[in-house]
Amino acid sequence: MTSARDILQSGRRQMAALSIFLVIQTLGTVFFVGDVIADLREDPASAHFIFEAIVTAALVLGVIFGAFALRRTIELLRAQDQALAVARGALSDVIEAQFQAWALTPAERDVGLLALKGLDVAEIAELRGAAQGTVRAQLTRIYSKAGVSGRAQFAAYFVEDLLGEAIPSASPAANPAA
Amino acid sequence: MATPRTEAGPAAASPPALWDPVVRLTHWGIAAAVLLNAALDEGGSLLHVAVGWIVMALLLLRMVWGVLGPDEARFAAFPPNPLAALRHLRQLVSGRVRHYSSHNPAGALMAYAFWAALATVTVSGLVMTGGATPMQVAADKAAVASGDWSALIRDSEGESDRDDAFGEAAEEVHEVVANLLLILAALHVAGVALESRAMRRNLVAAMLTGPRQK
Repeated sequence: MTSARDILQSGRRQMAALSIFLVIQTLGTVFFVGDVIADLREDPASAHFIFEAIVTAALVLGVIFGAFALRRTIELLRAQDQALAVARGALSDVIEAQFQAWALTPAERDVGLLALKGLDVAEIAELRGAAQGTVRAQLTRIYSKAGVSGRAQFAAYFVEDLLGEAIPSASPAANPAA
Repeated sequence: MATPRTEAGPAAASPPALWDPVVRLTHWGIAAAVLLNAALDEGGSLLHVAVGWIVMALLLLRMVWGVLGPDEARFAAFPPNPLAALRHLRQLVSGRVRHYSSHNPAGALMAYAFWAALATVTVSGLVMTGGATPMQVAADKAAVASGDWSALIRDSEGESDRDDAFGEAAEEVHEVVANLLLILAALHVAGVALESRAMRRNLVAAMLTGPRQK
């Protein structure tokens, strides 16, 4: 999750930088437009005026395109935010449904969820205010209900669902779909 | 796309937890510029004119953003509707307010009033300076300081009585509307405080850096 968060964070920084740039660009453009209008009143036929008018028109277009680009960045970031939230929700839905299918008791569900999050027996025991032996027994019952050999296979059960396809070779790093 | 006028609860339609950076930058930039020009610098000074131009640029950017920006920043998300604003104020008194995905109708009216006042102050200021850019003002001031008073003469050159009266009217408008801006700002701050209480939601945070991260 950290990397997804990092991407969003850098997206937000990019959005802030683009916005500040857009504000500065607008300031410059407005000053230039004022200058061009002043020139227009003095000598509209001069090469100086014509050149400056063209440059200023380009600046105005730059502001408009900059605003467009920024809007797109903002919308993209929001879509990613939402996709991340949906993915989180979807994963917890999948886990919930599977726990139900395995007929885990409420206590076993809590322990199973904590185990999935990577907590070890001692930490789970402390969080739940239970003895380590109890937690170990609960984990054993969870594994047997799920028909898995241990914690690694238990966690892999859900990761497999997320990856969506079987691993073609022995080396999982060769699969970039992750 | 979120529709601004749904009867739904806060989950379906609520103002953004954090406004986009352009809205925030223009909001605080204009707020600072208005306070600076109203209270701290001298009217007609180079700084006053330059800050006035900055306000004009920020206002124009917000207008562009009102057409091109994300949904909640667009004018279409908060059309001016005095009847809806009155209804909203009545709800505010009774303590049960509806939530909107952008500005609420009263806040929207306040925004349009601000923009109209800002445009008026800017345009009347431009009339008063003859549309001179800050660069020209600086050049003229430098010329006068070096003993060349022709810049002053150029200012009044060929001006008829009608122009004079127009200039005086602009000055009057500039002053009155500038004071109106300060009154609007006070109302705005009071409105934000009231709404934040009624909606149980920190509206100021949405204009700064958003709600505190979990």
